[in-house]
Amino acid sequence: MSGIYLHIPFCKHKCTYCDFTSFPNRLNFAEAYMACLYKEVAERGKMYAGRTFDTVYIGGGTPSVVDPTYIAGLMKQIRQCFRLSADPEVTIEMNPGTVDARKIAIYRNAGINRFSVGLQTANDEQLRDLGRIHTKADFVSACKLLKGCNFSADVMLGLKGQTKEDVKATIDLVHENGATHVSMYALTPEDGTPIYTDYLNGELPDGDEVAALYDYGRALLRDYGYLRYEVSNFTRNGYGSRHNLNYWKRGEYIGLGVSASSFMDGKRFTNTFDLDEYMKCILSGYFPVVESEEVGEQDAKFEFVMLALRTVFGVSASAYKKAFGSDWKEDFREAYARTAQYFEELGDATRIKDEYLYVQNRILTEFMA
Amino acid sequence: MANPNKNLRNFCIIAHIDHGKSTIADRIMELTGQVSKRDMEDQLLDSMDIERERGITIKLAPVRMYYTALDGEEYELNLIDTPGHVDFTYEVSRSLAACEGALLVVDATQGVEAQTLANVYLALDNNLEIVPVINKIDLASARIEETKAEIEDVIGLDASGAPCVSAKEGTNIRDILEAVVKFIPPPAGDTDAPLKALIFDSYYDNYKGVILFVRIKDGSVKVGDTVRTFLSEKTYDVTEVGAFAPRLQPKDVLSAGEVGYIAASIKSIEDVAVGDTVTGALRPAAEPLPGYKAVRPVVFCGIYPLDGSKFLDLKEAILKLKLNDASLTFEPDNSVALGFGFRCGFLGLLHMEIVQERIEREFNLDIITTAPSVSYKVHKTNGEELFVDNPSHLPAVSEIEWMEEPIVKAEVYTPPDYLGPVMDLCRDKRGVFKDMTYLDTRRVRLEYRLPLNEIVYDFFDELKSRTKGYASFDYEIAGYEKSKLVKLDILLNGELCDALSIIVHEDRAYPRGRMLCENLKDAIPRQLFEVPVQAAIGGKIIARETVKAVRKDVLAKCYGGDITRKKKLLEKQKEGKKRMRKIGTVEVPSEVFMQILKTNKDK
Repeated sequence: MSGIYLHIPFCKHKCTYCDFTSFPNRLNFAEAYMACLYKEVAERGKMYAGRTFDTVYIGGGTPSVVDPTYIAGLMKQIRQCFRLSADPEVTIEMNPGTVDARKIAIYRNAGINRFSVGLQTANDEQLRDLGRIHTKADFVSACKLLKGCNFSADVMLGLKGQTKEDVKATIDLVHENGATHVSMYALTPEDGTPIYTDYLNGELPDGDEVAALYDYGRALLRDYGYLRYEVSNFTRNGYGSRHNLNYWKRGEYIGLGVSASSFMDGKRFTNTFDLDEYMKCILSGYFPVVESEEVGEQDAKFEFVMLALRTVFGVSASAYKKAFGSDWKEDFREAYARTAQYFEELGDATRIKDEYLYVQNRILTEFMA
Repeated sequence: MANPNKNLRNFCIIAHIDHGKSTIADRIMELTGQVSKRDMEDQLLDSMDIERERGITIKLAPVRMYYTALDGEEYELNLIDTPGHVDFTYEVSRSLAACEGALLVVDATQGVEAQTLANVYLALDNNLEIVPVINKIDLASARIEETKAEIEDVIGLDASGAPCVSAKEGTNIRDILEAVVKFIPPPAGDTDAPLKALIFDSYYDNYKGVILFVRIKDGSVKVGDTVRTFLSEKTYDVTEVGAFAPRLQPKDVLSAGEVGYIAASIKSIEDVAVGDTVTGALRPAAEPLPGYKAVRPVVFCGIYPLDGSKFLDLKEAILKLKLNDASLTFEPDNSVALGFGFRCGFLGLLHMEIVQERIEREFNLDIITTAPSVSYKVHKTNGEELFVDNPSHLPAVSEIEWMEEPIVKAEVYTPPDYLGPVMDLCRDKRGVFKDMTYLDTRRVRLEYRLPLNEIVYDFFDELKSRTKGYASFDYEIAGYEKSKLVKLDILLNGELCDALSIIVHEDRAYPRGRMLCENLKDAIPRQLFEVPVQAAIGGKIIARETVKAVRKDVLAKCYGGDITRKKKLLEKQKEGKKRMRKIGTVEVPSEVFMQILKTNKDK
């Protein structure tokens, strides 16, 4: 499995928690940026000519904020420059406040078959607090346009003043409006974002409170048929995100666009986070890579385990053996012995017990060299 | 015959901590041209990093200077710096024995304090001439006349002619030297008599062997002489003698009255006890000089390597420190919780902290230290008597007839405004009031008898915080007293943690147990499971707290760009874990063992 990630660094307004690379005031650069991105796609396409890619993920920023014809053009370019498998999963992230019927039609026409809608919460006051540009009603309209599509909704936990009732209202809304997938993730206050101030002032729910909201939300999602397959991801009818599952299987992916990360041929590398630098490099004929790391064998083995243990599928002994030629429980004998009580077996795989998935960092550190 | 030493003066400086002793020493050296200002690091005599950072003197440091006085004559001055802290009283008494006089430095803004007095008494015991010096006259809050009056009233010294100086600004430093020349007598002693040299300090040099710091009382010594020591009765050939300038400066001969050093290829510091007398092997003196009484450690704690495999490194570090610090005692110890380590004995709490810090810094070792303890006298039912300083070595209750604990005589100097808080504190610590004297309208002297085990944890910190730093405190060991003591154990997740056991007075056991559990509950990070923290006396649980299981410890998102970041985050978390010690199944931060008994929680 291999994936392609495409980054669209524009949005209407920066959310208070956002530390992604996104530029709210530079939409006028979209055309120039997209031209550069097409070029990077072409160059990387040449480089990985012999390979087949199974998934495409267009993220941001807010990819739905740029003219949809750019997205259609991007998909065309991808198909021209990369070989995609017969039935690729193609996802686009959308803000409910930026969607209309024409956009959806163009996206679907371009081969996009999965939509990730950033709802976060059904509470309009909390949406305003987060700096989101949409309302609960916008989400409902967006869902109507996506009826019958494979689409996911983002739900955020740990918001200022958030109660179980808020979580229930949000999950009910998502469920009623037909989402096939839910990403329910805890807000992570990052240094430098406006919400970090709230965090420093103790205005956000603490770890225990977030865990309580999470447990509550997870139970509710289960009632509605959404089953957890990764720490923050839940699916109905088996519609897991193939693109994201590839990350957790330690599969390869090429990231294109400003700030995008890649993992190809055992190497992790990242493009520049600076929009101007990105465009300058591309136009001058260079790859705008600013960080590059060859992953050593021991490190690679740890990554494999660390990523696999995020999922309910756990570490597959045979997949590990195929990747490294050794037995994972042998490679991590001491660490496993210390933590065995937190694991359970599932066929040839070993996974973290349900109740410990949300406290897994303490288990994972035992596996570090 | 005229005294050949009539132009020689041996003196030391005594003062309460922070009253400016080392700064005055620096100014005197500067004035006598001993060191140029340019070459001078601040406070030259405090050569250890820790000494300079903390602004305290731990080891003695002698220095020789030449000074041309107003009478036109040149004098040789030997200054022996002394530590100011109560823990190092022993070192002070050693340097006092090498001198004829002492400068008593008193801070004009603070007046006479507890340690000032303790040191003055020591100096008077040694028949020293005491010259008061008033320091810090540059400060606006200086009260020169009141300070003089206090010296006269409290100590009984004539302070009317005392030099008033500012060491910081270098004002009137010459007055000090004139007073030294005028008031401190030249050393007596017979150069022709058999050699008698008092060893007042020593240290180990990798090339020259043990360097003895000596005061020649009678006779003389030169390179090539064969000397012997009285106590160990070993003989050595002298390879070098010299003065302190302040680095070692060889000279031909050391004669009666002089202060200097002797090197004689002495391999082991154990062979030459400080306080012993060096004499000539061929023409020995009939009897040694009166030495010092041996120091006994009063505070004990366990020191363990954080990483169990570093035990031998720790052993080497302690052995090396011991070379320079005869008062440090140690023996191997073994704890179920902490593995192999050492039980060390110290002169006091500061001494303990200094040793711990030196191990960590000078030897780059991470260590775990247990809470300080004192040495209890146990009378067993079978008639045996023994001293126990490690709670986990206490015999079973059924074997103990009765126990005694060490008691100190404590003096507290405080402004009257804080009398209430100070007396409350002393009462909290099982103190027995003995005496109270008003020194003047601003200061009161309180005398208490206090159990040593009550002051080893946080008495000093508490005293300072309850009096906004105004009170000063000094103590001396005043023997043993019968006491009702019990061993308080701590159980983590149901398992006894021997390194956290303490011996407490029966009446304090319940509150102490509750406090310990509360402190541990806050100090132990949450684990993947619930951890009961219990305090027990003889198997009976008296207090319990619970460290709740952690509920969220996960990175919410982990997609393509997050993988490297997540690894770094986990690495950081792992680093934090390295400062933890696993007690059974429970991870405990290493500093907990030492700090857990501090009562002043930030709440």
